[in-house]
Amino acid sequence: MDNLTTKQKILESAIRLFNWDDMANVRLQQIADETGISVGNLAYHYKNKEAIVTAVYEGLFEEFGQILSTYMSNPKLSDFNTQMEQYHRFFSKYKFYLIDLFEIERSYPLIMDRWRECVNKMMLQIRKRLDYNVQRGVLHPEPMPGAYDTLTNNIWMTIVFWKPRQLLKAQPVDEILFKRTVWEHIIPHFTPKGLSEFQLELQGALS
Amino acid sequence: MKPVFSMSSDLYGKMLDELSNLFFTEKLGLDSDMNFYRDDFWLTDTAVIELLQFRKGSWEINLLFAHHKTPLKFLSRRITSHSCPKRAKTMALYMRRIAAKDQRGTLSIDIKDLNLSLN
Repeated sequence: MDNLTTKQKILESAIRLFNWDDMANVRLQQIADETGISVGNLAYHYKNKEAIVTAVYEGLFEEFGQILSTYMSNPKLSDFNTQMEQYHRFFSKYKFYLIDLFEIERSYPLIMDRWRECVNKMMLQIRKRLDYNVQRGVLHPEPMPGAYDTLTNNIWMTIVFWKPRQLLKAQPVDEILFKRTVWEHIIPHFTPKGLSEFQLELQGALS
Repeated sequence: MKPVFSMSSDLYGKMLDELSNLFFTEKLGLDSDMNFYRDDFWLTDTAVIELLQFRKGSWEINLLFAHHKTPLKFLSRRITSHSCPKRAKTMALYMRRIAAKDQRGTLSIDIKDLNLSLN
């Protein structure tokens, strides 16, 4: 924390506060107090709350872009497992993405557009992964047209909404459980080759 | 927000397809693919050009060997270096004459064999 610049410290504090409270309720005074600086100093770096929200989301989109860029770093199933770990860390760090979804849609349309673009890319990547693994003989071909679109939606929903669901049900939110839940969508579609690759590479790490 | 580069979903999808295809189309090379480098007997049928380059304070003499029938098969080899440019030039000339199959330099490359496209 000491190595961070004041701007970075402000953003870290803002993320902590947004995760803890509704974004609309967080005031500049609170962010300044959390950072340990005066409001005047805060205003020197970010002229208003909108500037802070925009900067927080800039960072968020950059991190999200980095996760997307890891697509197909290696041709095996473990590639998706690695990306899942990154998604888990991302959605744990930016818990406010869900709380503030409606506030973002109402007050920050540009941010909402970027979010939609990221979500589209994420879903496309999941879908293309399924196609790739069908081509590789690891997954069975679609049993009926559109079946893998539904599977894509289910996987995406699990990645994004699994954590709030667990919290609502007062259940654990650890990473291994998260990954296992996502894989459970895919396992029934494995061919014998896919199943043996999964058992060899991933089952040990997921148990 | 800073303007960012973006692309349509269709285009992004196609890009992902191409990335996935890499694992089917791109194969690891075989050890034998580098035989042309190790087995340098073909260098006897090449046109040779000397190349002088000033690098790290001295004149480096490189010889560029290009096959006279298929000039895209070529190889550049560093021979030696010399601090005096004049002597390096003379040395390069002799090196080329020793390396070339025909010392008079009649073995040459036809530019048409390079299949250049001027588009």
